[in-house]
Amino acid sequence: MTRTRLLTLTPFVILALLVWLVSVPVSNRPVTHNIVMTADQFAFDPPVLRVNQGDTVRLTLQAADVVHGFYLDGYGLNTRIEPGVSRQIEFTADRAGKFRYRCSVSCGSLHPFMIGELVVNPNFPFYRAVGITLITVIAVLVYLRKFPPAPV
Amino acid sequence: MTTPTNRLERFALAVLLFILAGVPVALLGYQYFVRLALSPVRVIDITAAAPEAGGFQPDAIRVAAGETVRLRFSVPDVTHGIAIGPGLGIDIGHVDPGQVREVEVTFDRPGRYTVYCSTWCSPNHWRMRGTIEVYDPSQPDALPPSQPPDPALESLAARGINIDAEHPAETIPDTPPSPGRGAEITATHQNTLPADLFNPAWRQQHSPVEAWSMLVAHGMNQPDAWDVVAHLWTSSLQGDRLAQASTLYAKNCAACHGEDGSGTGPGAAVLQAQHALEHSDMPQAGKPTAFADPRIMLGGRSEIYYAKIRRGGMGTGMPGFGQIFTPEESWMLAEYLWRFVFVPAENRP
Ligand code: HEC
Ligand SMILES: [Cu+2]
Ligand SMILES: [Cu+2]
Repeated sequence: MTRTRLLTLTPFVILALLVWLVSVPVSNRPVTHNIVMTADQFAFDPPVLRVNQGDTVRLTLQAADVVHGFYLDGYGLNTRIEPGVSRQIEFTADRAGKFRYRCSVSCGSLHPFMIGELVVNPNFPFYRAVGITLITVIAVLVYLRKFPPAPV
Repeated sequence: MTTPTNRLERFALAVLLFILAGVPVALLGYQYFVRLALSPVRVIDITAAAPEAGGFQPDAIRVAAGETVRLRFSVPDVTHGIAIGPGLGIDIGHVDPGQVREVEVTFDRPGRYTVYCSTWCSPNHWRMRGTIEVYDPSQPDALPPSQPPDPALESLAARGINIDAEHPAETIPDTPPSPGRGAEITATHQNTLPADLFNPAWRQQHSPVEAWSMLVAHGMNQPDAWDVVAHLWTSSLQGDRLAQASTLYAKNCAACHGEDGSGTGPGAAVLQAQHALEHSDMPQAGKPTAFADPRIMLGGRSEIYYAKIRRGGMGTGMPGFGQIFTPEESWMLAEYLWRFVFVPAENRP
């Protein structure tokens, strides 16, 4: 009796172990992004940055007209950018999620709308966790189907 | 006929009016009269806006020598920086809209000073200046003395040199010269090289091409001669002065001339648009000089660059910095410009 029960669960356990241990495809290894970010009245270019968690982001900040600032929510980075003088900042995107970057120097009428977005995609362990959770759910469903609990 | 209710209503109205008018009057009165009367020093309120929005208001103030004044700056539009020069070292840094920043100053001697913006706040940022006239309290009507005569400018005028003339180099190095090699060559030949070359004042009045021709006439091979010139023309700006010059350049010049001296900073595009409209007859008008171009630079001299920095261009878009920099700061900048042709980009600060 317990044997068949265990047998039912075995394929799921193997699957879960596979998902947990299978080697990481190369494309998901942390990389360094070299990005030139230009600030002008009243936008950042590029307006959206997408990276994977763990990646290194090396930004070259430039101001194309007047002094702007670059403040990155969540990472607490803040710099002034003088026109004509490029400025380098580097950080590791170690927190997943969406973070706003905004201008931190009042640069004109639409300054409050000078906003961009950094999207840090969760890295591989996140997908593994999702996979394992799904497998567990299916395993529990199958198990309950086969061996419904005795009515109390 | 006045009934009690009528009287009450009038009383209520009076109270309302008192509150409506009284509160602002009290606040403003305190801000602009009581506080000023109580303050032991004279307070001068100055609004700082971008040049197209009015610049400094008031843009000219008169102060007696020895009098302490408190300058109170507020900013209606965008972030500005407030500094006073030349040679006072007063820079109160950034002032954001809504903020009020103040500085207390005492000017010891009569003269003219300039309040200027130290943050690139608009394409016209460099026009954002105001004057402070410091008069002698014993002769309040006398004009304050202008800046002392500048020997370098007088000498240029005496020799009839036009600082606006183009000065193309007749010859330029085939490969970028190396100041490092130049230093070694100079060290081994020190005693046999023309003495003039080691005199900073002589170098200020001569172009690198002139010095190079001298060395070649002296028997030195051409690439070596360029290396020696590169070494000499970068030797007088070192250490602290170099760091200072580099900061001054980044803050005041890079927006037009570019951080790499290519003449293509973001301000260049704005200037070009403005000058297309103004039909200036100067060929260089609206085109910030490319300091990294040996053809343009090597026929020039430090004294000419110094004079241009102090006086500015004649309607070309090159601002004059004589009212905000000291002569020493202007020399540092003039000498700094040589680095764009003589020092490889990776070795610049
Ligand atoms: C608003 C733009 C602007 C700024 C800011 C600016 N320049 Fe210029 N500059 C020009 C233009 C345009 C020219 C060419 C026209 C002329 O020579 O008058 C020029 C020319 C010059 C020249 C003459 C070069 C030659 O070949 O004779 C020198 C030297 C110079 N600039 C130095 C500076 C320095 C140093 C600063 C910073 C303290 C500075 N400039 C800031 C626009 C600018
Ligand atoms: Cu901005
Ligand atoms: Cu300003």
